[in-house]
Amino acid sequence: MAVCGRAKICAGQVKGRALRKYASILASLMLLAIAGYVAVHQKNKEIAVTDGGEKPPGLGGFSRSADCARLPQFLGRLKIPQPVLIDLSQKRYTGIALHYGQNYEQTLHPEAWEKYEHFGTYTLNERGDIYLSPTPFISVRPTTFDLQKNIYKLDTKTGALSALMHIDDVRPSASNPYGIISLAYDCEDRTLWVSAIDETDYQSQKGVIYHIDPGAKKILQTVEGFDALTVLLLRTGKGKFLLAGSARDNALYAYAVADGAVSPRRLKLLELPTVNEHIRKIKIAGDNHLELQAIPFSYTLLAQSASRDRTYYDAKWDVAASKWKLEKRE
Amino acid sequence: MSKETKTSIAILVTGLLLIALYWFAPEKTAQKKQGSITVEEKIILPKNAPEVYQDIPEVQSYIKDIREMVNRGEAVLPLQGRELDDRAQKAQEILLKDQEFLKDTMQDGRILHNDMMRILPAIVSTLDAGAKQICQPHACYQAEKYNFVTNVTTRAIVDVRNARVLSVQRYQNMQPDISLRLARIARAIALNAPEVKQELGAKPSVTDVSMANVRGALQESPCENSAHLCVAPVFADHSKERALWAIVDLTELKLVAAKWTRLGKTTTPARISERSLQNRYIMENFCQKNTLLERNGWKLFYRLTGSDGLEVIDASYRGRPVLASAKIVDWHVSYQQEGAGQLDTTTEAYMEGRRVEFVQAGDGTYFFGYNDAMGCPMFSTSVVLPFNAPQIKKLNNGFMLIQDYRNPKWPMACNYRYENRFEFFDDGSFRVAGVNIGRGCGDNAFYRPLMRIDMALGGKEKFYKYEGKWEQWKQERMDDSRDAAFHEDGRYLYKITSGADGSRGYYIEPNRGQFQDASRGDNARVFATKFQTGEGEQDLLTLGSCCDLDQDGVERYLEDSASIDGENIVLWYVPRVHNDAREGHEYCWADTAIGDNGNPFVKEWPCVVGPKFVPVK
Repeated sequence: MAVCGRAKICAGQVKGRALRKYASILASLMLLAIAGYVAVHQKNKEIAVTDGGEKPPGLGGFSRSADCARLPQFLGRLKIPQPVLIDLSQKRYTGIALHYGQNYEQTLHPEAWEKYEHFGTYTLNERGDIYLSPTPFISVRPTTFDLQKNIYKLDTKTGALSALMHIDDVRPSASNPYGIISLAYDCEDRTLWVSAIDETDYQSQKGVIYHIDPGAKKILQTVEGFDALTVLLLRTGKGKFLLAGSARDNALYAYAVADGAVSPRRLKLLELPTVNEHIRKIKIAGDNHLELQAIPFSYTLLAQSASRDRTYYDAKWDVAASKWKLEKRE
Repeated sequence: MSKETKTSIAILVTGLLLIALYWFAPEKTAQKKQGSITVEEKIILPKNAPEVYQDIPEVQSYIKDIREMVNRGEAVLPLQGRELDDRAQKAQEILLKDQEFLKDTMQDGRILHNDMMRILPAIVSTLDAGAKQICQPHACYQAEKYNFVTNVTTRAIVDVRNARVLSVQRYQNMQPDISLRLARIARAIALNAPEVKQELGAKPSVTDVSMANVRGALQESPCENSAHLCVAPVFADHSKERALWAIVDLTELKLVAAKWTRLGKTTTPARISERSLQNRYIMENFCQKNTLLERNGWKLFYRLTGSDGLEVIDASYRGRPVLASAKIVDWHVSYQQEGAGQLDTTTEAYMEGRRVEFVQAGDGTYFFGYNDAMGCPMFSTSVVLPFNAPQIKKLNNGFMLIQDYRNPKWPMACNYRYENRFEFFDDGSFRVAGVNIGRGCGDNAFYRPLMRIDMALGGKEKFYKYEGKWEQWKQERMDDSRDAAFHEDGRYLYKITSGADGSRGYYIEPNRGQFQDASRGDNARVFATKFQTGEGEQDLLTLGSCCDLDQDGVERYLEDSASIDGENIVLWYVPRVHNDAREGHEYCWADTAIGDNGNPFVKEWPCVVGPKFVPVK
């Protein structure tokens, strides 16, 4: 063991003192390095999922539990028996039509239901009101772009069709004729989740998901930067999620919803095998089982609504393996 | 608190703040990453005719074998011996005599080209219970054939020992894994494609190419909207961490698109399709920017519009401005039918998913139809989309710029194909032409392309009609060229000149069938209007009625009868074409037929319309 004289400070002592002096700074730097590494690693992991990583995030199990949706009350008044088929295909009827009876051969379609032209999706609330999203179809008329800015409501008692809410920020144009395009009703807090894709252009995705209180006609929250061609609420063992089929790519995404608010972080759940397919409808088909309907979509007008242009997939969630199994229906 | 402790706290707080900022900016980071992918990805569309592949030995021998097979009255090209073991060979022999397996190989007495794709020992666990019972002790083989005409894959299970076909299943619009022979052909096409050679800088060797995407299961094909059999051989460039994917169409034996991508997980073959590559290439090169074209004394720019087709802008000849803009705004399509009295127009009607408009004529007939807008493949209001990029082709005395627009399922019924064509000649003349290649919803159709032509003759222009002598139009008006009694020099009906210099201008020669393109004439209505903002200088949405033959849609711009004497004049030229589906007289028509080689081909009878502009001497 070396002994240092009084007049002569040995190198080891200097090192020790300096270390003690700067120990707190070094500790801070080390702490930051670890925190930085974890942050970068975790975030890249997140991006990898967003970009199509192999392991999708854990969703938890889900089932086709009864939701609050009820059919309109005016059907009872008109003595129209259930089941009733809501027709937005725009093939024979503009707007909305309701089919009923044997083989759905009878149709309810007052002329007033054509007033706002074409609809793309609907959702029902616990009273039986039908909320509708617009869609441009085949050709553009002078009124078409304005109609894409509204959320519509078919009143449960009167059957009157009206524009429930007008969103000024939605601005369709000749270079993107779409506006509000999809909606889903949240039974828990009686709100609507509405997607719009109007401002998106070729370079960038600028779609908005609005969280709306339909009673107060108020926007509660917006999530920007994603084009959802369809939205659906899903309650799972791990919480509530807003599922969204992308208009931009062939994937299904999820946003976690907690305390009535959606997390801006978007998680990619799965990807369809064909690049030109976009998920237009999502249905909970059974336990841990989604039915996905896909269409070709390129932000141009839909000229064909033929069934041969639609593809159906069964997406089954393996809870234990945290894995989706995707099968195309023949 | 010591100075060092304070410093460490400051470092810690600042660092944590920076990490928090980084953490809560997820979208930005993701977009940056996506952006970098976009920058690296380059799309190449073929510029050469498919005939360049016909000389490849593998292709030649394949075509020869197919022809000989059809001549023998057979429909399925068998697998070659080296692809089969003895039992598979026997399975093939059994299947090539099996009526059920061969059931879909004829259509209207014509042989349809089929290829046997593979025959392998059946995996017993995947069989149904009945087959399982038989195949456990015996050797069963699974065979797949592909019908190139109907795009159907047939899968059969054969009990070789008992020479029995156990099951035959057909899969519509699905393509199987390909034979080794077709894999070699695909590789040869990719290796010999001029576009691939150009991208790689030299002719690649066979070891440079891999067929990673040969499918293991029935999947959708990446070309022709999944209606053809296609594969994507890949050339990996490990030094630059990139790969060139070449999409080869084995139905038509040609390269259809290629794409550079990064090497890595995120760029798998499943994400490559001819349609998506074409869309991106067209959007980035022709919808987002103008392209300069200089040739034979002409200098012009062109672009694809959102709904007005291909537009030529700022064209000049030998330095003198000629055209400010020329484009086809719409195609009006109307069909004439008997029985106007029974017509119910209270609700909207649709045909093949398209909304139909009805207009009653006075003679007991009615017209129905729709307006077709042509435009960019994405982010537009068009319904007939560009197929491949604009092409430049040589003419004997000039060149032409063309853009092909098609509905995806053309030439099936109610699907349309239009070509926008601009011909530029070496003497300074030019022609604005629209080409219709059917097929539409039937015969008795009237097609009216709306051409908007804005000349650039100094801004102040004069317009004339020849009525034995040149008569100037002082105000906006319309004229029906069918009523013309006189033509200057037997050719010219109209003239547009510079207001300042009457010797500078163009004669307008309507097409009356004299351009040797089998046209039956334009029968056009012509409008001269004063240039006004909002009247077509930008993308025009649908203009006017599809089916009122007395109205072309431009009439609305004549309402104020503005003076056009020495004004910037816009010329609207609206030809009227009647299609014809009678055998031997087809016009504006297309049909699919089966050729001598058992493969389908499209018979086309285009109709070409549009006026020629000839410099005033």
